[in-house]
Amino acid sequence: MSPKSGDAIRPSSRHGPRIGVFVCHCGHNIAGTVDVEKVAEALARYPGVVYSTHYDYMCSDPGQELVKRAIKEHRLTGVVVAACSPSMHEPTFRTAGEEAGLNPYLVEIANIREHCSWVHEAGPATTDKAIRITRAAVEKVRGNHPLEPLQIGHAEKCLVIGGGIAGIQAALDVAEAGYEVLLVEKSPTIGGHMAQLSETFPTLDCSQCILTPKMVEAARHPRIRLLTYSEVEEVSGFLGNYHVRIRKKPTYVDPEKCNLCGDCEEVCPVRVPNEFDRGLSERGAIYIPFPQAVPSSYTLDEEACLGLEPLRCSECARVCEVGAIDYDMQEEIIEEDVGAIIVATGFELYPKEEMAEYGAGRIPDVIDGLEFERILSASGPTGGEVRRPSDGKVPKEVVFIQCSGSRDPELHKPYCSKICCMYTAKHALLYRHLVPDGRAYVFYIDIRAGGKGYEEFVARAMEEDRILYLRGKVAKVFREGDKVVVWGVDTLTGKRVEVKADLVVLAQAIVPSPGVTELAQRLHMSCLDEHGFLKEAHPKLRPLETLAGGVFIAGAAQAPKDIPDAVAQASGAAAKAIALLSAPALVHPPEVAIVDEELCSGCGICAPQCPYSAITVEEVAEVNEVLCEGCGACAAACPSGAMSLRNLTDEQVLAMVRAALKEAAEVTSG
Amino acid sequence: MAEFEPKIVAFLCRWCAYAGADLAGTSRLKYPPNVVPIRVPCSGRVEPAWVVDALRQGADGVLIGGCHPGDCHYVSGNYKARRRVYLLKKILPELGIEPDRVRLEWVSASEGKRFAEVVADFVAELRALGPIGAGSDASRVTRDEESTALRGG
Amino acid sequence: MRAEDEARPKGSPDSMGPTPYVARHENSASPVTRHASRPKIAVYWTGSCGGCDVSFLEVGEAIVDILSQVEIVFWPALADPKREDLEAMPPGSIDVALINGTIRTEENVEMVELLREKAKLVVAYGACAHLGGVPSLANLSTREEILGEVLGEGWRRGPPPGGPEEDAPPDLLPRALPLSQVVRVDYTVPGCPPPAGLIGEFFNAFLSGEMPEPGYVFAKAKALCEECPRTREERVLKRIVRPHELLPDPEECLLDQGLICLGPVTRGGCNAACPQAGMPCTGCLGPTPKAGDPGLAMISALASLVRAGEEGEEAIPKEDEILDQLVDLIGTLYKYGVPTFCPLSPERERAGVRGKASPSPVPSQPGRGRRKGGAA
Repeated sequence: MSPKSGDAIRPSSRHGPRIGVFVCHCGHNIAGTVDVEKVAEALARYPGVVYSTHYDYMCSDPGQELVKRAIKEHRLTGVVVAACSPSMHEPTFRTAGEEAGLNPYLVEIANIREHCSWVHEAGPATTDKAIRITRAAVEKVRGNHPLEPLQIGHAEKCLVIGGGIAGIQAALDVAEAGYEVLLVEKSPTIGGHMAQLSETFPTLDCSQCILTPKMVEAARHPRIRLLTYSEVEEVSGFLGNYHVRIRKKPTYVDPEKCNLCGDCEEVCPVRVPNEFDRGLSERGAIYIPFPQAVPSSYTLDEEACLGLEPLRCSECARVCEVGAIDYDMQEEIIEEDVGAIIVATGFELYPKEEMAEYGAGRIPDVIDGLEFERILSASGPTGGEVRRPSDGKVPKEVVFIQCSGSRDPELHKPYCSKICCMYTAKHALLYRHLVPDGRAYVFYIDIRAGGKGYEEFVARAMEEDRILYLRGKVAKVFREGDKVVVWGVDTLTGKRVEVKADLVVLAQAIVPSPGVTELAQRLHMSCLDEHGFLKEAHPKLRPLETLAGGVFIAGAAQAPKDIPDAVAQASGAAAKAIALLSAPALVHPPEVAIVDEELCSGCGICAPQCPYSAITVEEVAEVNEVLCEGCGACAAACPSGAMSLRNLTDEQVLAMVRAALKEAAEVTSG
Repeated sequence: MAEFEPKIVAFLCRWCAYAGADLAGTSRLKYPPNVVPIRVPCSGRVEPAWVVDALRQGADGVLIGGCHPGDCHYVSGNYKARRRVYLLKKILPELGIEPDRVRLEWVSASEGKRFAEVVADFVAELRALGPIGAGSDASRVTRDEESTALRGG
Repeated sequence: MRAEDEARPKGSPDSMGPTPYVARHENSASPVTRHASRPKIAVYWTGSCGGCDVSFLEVGEAIVDILSQVEIVFWPALADPKREDLEAMPPGSIDVALINGTIRTEENVEMVELLREKAKLVVAYGACAHLGGVPSLANLSTREEILGEVLGEGWRRGPPPGGPEEDAPPDLLPRALPLSQVVRVDYTVPGCPPPAGLIGEFFNAFLSGEMPEPGYVFAKAKALCEECPRTREERVLKRIVRPHELLPDPEECLLDQGLICLGPVTRGGCNAACPQAGMPCTGCLGPTPKAGDPGLAMISALASLVRAGEEGEEAIPKEDEILDQLVDLIGTLYKYGVPTFCPLSPERERAGVRGKASPSPVPSQPGRGRRKGGAA
């Protein structure tokens, strides 16, 4: 197929580089604002360019064919495709070049869509900018050398950070594929938030009943090493070859010996709020988060204990018949080499203390969704009976407030927390089942029930369980006697609504788990998103990967997610990790630092600039190419110009700058 | 007379600022076309000599875009860039260049809007500054242009 | 990359301490076939301190041997011939003219243009001729400021009171210039003053007729850290001090101790003489061939080395405190090269010097610049 638009313009060929320029219309996306024909013409006159053309969709098969044919016919030594961002089609055109016999590193993209046609109005200035961008890319190609990717080996273990449902699923999948897994969880048990839930929407399965078998499976799996009460302290290395350092805190209880009798907690004189019950119950300094905890063992909370050094109490050890308690237990440092890392650090609820309009956490009968989960749970602090925290009465009027802290760009979080519509419907429905004579009100902005069986579930809650849905925001919640008064507006009727409730449940916004920022920095994962969630490599096309090679993400650490989504993403991340671990060798980009030994005086200024310790200096500096990530900090620091970056040398950049700045008239090859 | 259109060269780190500029594109945000971006692996790759060379070659301003503190894909390249620009800005007045012509900005991959705003703001600032050596009090270049042409024979 | 680096003269030692001059006698199988008789040399100083003239003595007794092999046709500090004698010589009759000093006055321009006409080869000798030198730091002030400062308010150029007009002193150029910005320069012997080894290397090459490609700088391509015996341990800069503020450790790298040593950006060839004596290198041999602008290269290097603990947001104020300790940036980083490197200086633009410090001969036309204002 011949190009339907854009005849090739062939200026007189010269010795030296033979560069081809291919300007893409991207339909109307580029051609609508940029005069593509003019760009192709201008580049045809640019020194070193022997072929220049434009075409509707360069990335289409015929477009790629056009590029390949031109490479062969015109014996091109370099190709510039002026099109969309290199993050889109750089690999496409590099492959096309390779197929036509051109080294892929001699193909460069000039980004005239995202950086030009989409951000400027149609006109000569926009076309002029497109020409400048493309000229700079020609200079880049002119200075490029043909390169071959480096081949490197990798470790065959996988680190999974976070032992919630996403982490458990990912660990199981990777282990099942035959690879060793380290599953690191910072609390004393795996299970995460799912273990706290009562029943799950829309099927109303008992959460623990479906979760605990997976927890046990993970603990028993021969290829999973479970590291609870542990945190990843340091990560060094690179794609396929990460070295991790994990600190495992002492639990002071030998899980092998502990028989879960519970005598220790009974005698413990300390009482602190139980995190697992969101502070609705108390626990001892020695405790087990919940009966089915994995590993199934008590843990002595050093912070809460009266004192271990010197030992102040020792009641627990006295009553422990099996002698499981060991006050001399030390923390353990575990160091391992891993090839892949899956981050599944989950979520936390936006603190209700932030909600000044809803009592700022000071009204005991205003609780968040997870607290209500514990109240609903058969194993919860109220034994599955719905009783309110302040006086233990069964609440007869319950108000559920959705979007509490979500979708509120002025005061709180601007985003939708995604799962609240569903769990609020579930809460209200379960409440009505447990308190048949109670009344449930739900204040909502919209109902977002996209998901298999979700809309039906909400409809059932509204119709069968006669839950009163009120469309509108709650303006104020305050205490009046033993009631909690809720002022709101029903925007459908336009009437003010006042409910004197016994209990208010806030569907708090989902926020990233605390500590994820530091973890992301330790993992060299650039750019958490603006809300602190882990940022995927591409929001649509690489949702499981991060920009750090070999580091994948799963679950609500990336964004609010329900259980099926978290599990699906976990399996996806596991598949990515398995693909990496099963590759015979990994390919490392060859655009790394390079030393000119004729010029290097061995001054050593470069070495401390390298975050990967890839440079050693003896007589002259030497770069470990596999460790080098190609950031170029060393090249910028090197005062003598001996250190450089392959295919981004000073000479190239200066030529690009000049090409970008010169007026069109100044740069014709005559 | 047509308004002075400053020329800007932008060295954008591929992980944050370049991706932020991409996002500005996908979001169809509009900003002035005065800036030509050059993709670099990291703001820590940018050399002060590049910046000065760009200004000598006719740029009216140079923008360096990197990741926010703590977010550098290469851990600390942005801190190195910051120190280099800090020192560079100290010497620029000695060379007759207003330090405001060099900007280091942190733009994350999720800040397309910020990128567009930074460019628009920089263009406006450079418009006010005018071309290098024109109408700036601090500029030795201006004074020299008046008084130091090599003597004619 | 420049030709000079590939074209080191044959037999030039790899490690370049002071290279002893190798005497060659006329009756031996001398390679001096280029010169039918003894080669004619001229030595001239322009805006100079005189140290370069004295530096010839640095080569020691070998100077006697060198001088016996050449014919000095013009050397104001040493011999009688005057400008009129020089003017009378046929063009190209001098084999080599060694010119030291910065170009500061109209007379300097006239003399070096005359020497250029009469000499087959012109050598920029010493840092002033090479890069501008210490006197070119005057470019930080305008000519009017300088003359006003020295001569007081109301000064005017002209002959002494009552004297004839031709007795007026030569006028200052607006700016001091390196030799290459006035006439074509064939070779450079750098240094302030050139170290004996490099002088010896030049004469070895010249007298043997084995001169490298034009443009060659008689110094190493590698930075002088290579020849510096000081030890480099922790490559970070935790403070910046000036030489008078510190009695440096005799073993440790001066840069590591906080002294701004330009060794990493400066050509070797002096055997790291200053650092060995406890003084930081100030860059007199000029930047290494690919360093570009040495001041900007050092700004990048120094800023990279500065550390106030772990790099991070919290460290920023402390880092700035350290960076602020670097004072007199131009004097520290461009002591010898203001007219060559200080970017965007107008005469640099006019002279057409492009990009990285180019030693390539730049045809300059000092007589044809714009005439404007000034004291003329």
